[in-house]
Amino acid sequence: MQDFIEINFGPQHPSTHGVLRLKAKLDGEIVKEIEPVIGYLHRNAEKLCEMTFYADNLVYFDRMDYVASMLMESGYLEAAEKILNIVPPERVLWIRVIMNELSRIASHLVWAGAFGLDLGMLTPFFYCFAERDKVLEVFTEICGSRQETNYMSIGGVYQDITPGIVDHIEAFLESFPKRLEEIYKIFVGNDVFISRNKGIGVMSREVAIDYGVTGPMLRASGVNYDVRKAEPYLVYDKLNFEVPVSYKGDNLARFLVRFEEMRQSVHILKQAIRKIPDGPFFNPKAKKSMMIRLRGDGEYYARTESSKGEFGVYIVADGGVKPYRVHVRSPTFKNLSVVQELAKDQMIADMVAILGSVDLVFGEVDR
Amino acid sequence: MTADDSGQPNRGKDGRTIFNVDRDKLLEFMKGMKEKGYDHLSLITGVDRKDFIEVVYHLHAVERNEYVVVKTTTNNGVVPSVTSLWSSAKWEEREQYDLMGIKFEGHENLKRIFLPESWVGHPLRKDYDLGNVQYINMDSDGEDYATFDEGDGW
Amino acid sequence: MKSGEPGALVTTLEKALTWGRSNSIWPLTMGLACCAIEMMGTQASQLDISRFGSEIFRNSPRQSDLMIVAGTVTKKMAPRLKRLYDEMPFPKYVIAMGVCVIQGGPYVHGYSVVLGVDRVVPVDVYVPGCPPTPEALTYGIMTLQKKIRGETDR
Repeated sequence: MQDFIEINFGPQHPSTHGVLRLKAKLDGEIVKEIEPVIGYLHRNAEKLCEMTFYADNLVYFDRMDYVASMLMESGYLEAAEKILNIVPPERVLWIRVIMNELSRIASHLVWAGAFGLDLGMLTPFFYCFAERDKVLEVFTEICGSRQETNYMSIGGVYQDITPGIVDHIEAFLESFPKRLEEIYKIFVGNDVFISRNKGIGVMSREVAIDYGVTGPMLRASGVNYDVRKAEPYLVYDKLNFEVPVSYKGDNLARFLVRFEEMRQSVHILKQAIRKIPDGPFFNPKAKKSMMIRLRGDGEYYARTESSKGEFGVYIVADGGVKPYRVHVRSPTFKNLSVVQELAKDQMIADMVAILGSVDLVFGEVDR
Repeated sequence: MTADDSGQPNRGKDGRTIFNVDRDKLLEFMKGMKEKGYDHLSLITGVDRKDFIEVVYHLHAVERNEYVVVKTTTNNGVVPSVTSLWSSAKWEEREQYDLMGIKFEGHENLKRIFLPESWVGHPLRKDYDLGNVQYINMDSDGEDYATFDEGDGW
Repeated sequence: MKSGEPGALVTTLEKALTWGRSNSIWPLTMGLACCAIEMMGTQASQLDISRFGSEIFRNSPRQSDLMIVAGTVTKKMAPRLKRLYDEMPFPKYVIAMGVCVIQGGPYVHGYSVVLGVDRVVPVDVYVPGCPPTPEALTYGIMTLQKKIRGETDR
């Protein structure tokens, strides 16, 4: 009978990206078993959604994946607009795609900065946050808020994007790719970074699918699955982009997939910004005075590709002005559950690197 | 919507195939689906329909990109667990047990995932009373417990 | 001794002490939710809070003077927050960042959120916003510095 040391990580710990607690059993420095304990940020968003009007529920969705709030908003609206039978105009779909991709870039930059911090690299953090601030400047210009944007609304967006904003986005797209390559070089030019990530936390394709892992983590394990391609929503079928896939399945692969995704996002943005059609920016059926009187019927499940993976919103309506039941399929909830499998028999320092590579956002795990 | 034994599919508003399966035949049906290549259990959720609870499973065949929905109903809140088929069910079922109060028979570690073990009631049930406020505190071992006493916790 | 009693002999020493104390506030990383990202933004290159002497975010409560509670405090987290506060050495200060921390914010009608962190620990400066911008948090830190020095804004 062998005795293991039991240690407790978190909930307040620099490497847990928020409020995760891990109960780890150690044999020396080798992790034998970990048990994640979650729920320290359980904010009952699903219950509150049942008590709130359809239009106001966006508040809770903004704060789920708080680093990519535009992606959460469009994910919710994909389902809510179908329930309420309101079709957004063509121009809105293009604006939403642009905001989604900007948000994806911002989210991946936060991840890259935090991942660097986990591995003891302070420099990329400053570079990433400086670039992220430029995205947030665009968001401030279009809606007045930096992070929790609340920009989209049922049947449209809060306000139209002006030529000035288009110029602003184009200027960002001009400067960003160079800076991205610079950030990329800081990471891959560092031998310590490579040796701490190459071959660590290898997730096989079977384990990934079995645990319901989606998003960049799944694509790093060699599965070419992206909801934007598999079940196109908004206008992603009219855009030309590639889904990056890696077959290594380790931390480094996840890092590379996310960086390639940012490059593809720039590629999408450059196409979309030129193609925006003219027209109204909201459906007059959903004007502000009507917003709280909208009644929904039936049930609908919409899945979208957020920066973390497949984000699904399941709404059941009963004909009232408020949803009967809202369920959120959170990608990070699944991605976190696989960590107990990946961290088994790894060094404790590698466990931190694996946790960092998952891209955890606790607003979404606990909801 | 009630369950019918035939397992005949119909279509939902979102265009996805829905199978209504009887609770007793659920595990057998799911085994068949797994063998047909539905290797990704995307989500498990429960809907409290007041006199019964509807349990919804979303299955996805990653390779063929096929998506189906399986629904079952339960009156007493007990359904068989599918953790033996998909590992992703482990946490999903714990979440639904915590918030909706569905007991998954055969789950090896069925305990609450977000709230402490001694929390009374399941919040997403329609008859959950939000006015009856509960508080949480931590004992000396670092484990949480729920209490109705305002002076004890926060 | 937070502001210093006015005494004939110790006044200048007190002033020197509080001046030093106010310009070397090391915050504890208490990032709980959304506001944590803006707190990281405050630390990053655009609005470097090192300029105000808050050089490094310490991960240990024993080395920090200031707890910036950034993000929703849930009932499950509150006992841990209290324990971390108790572990900080005197003199210690608390900034409540964001409306969730101040009174519950959008989650005020829910069942698992503490309605204001001032029920758990005493708060020195409130920074409203959802989330507050990094500029707002910087202003909050400057306000706290004035408070430590015994100056007043009004």
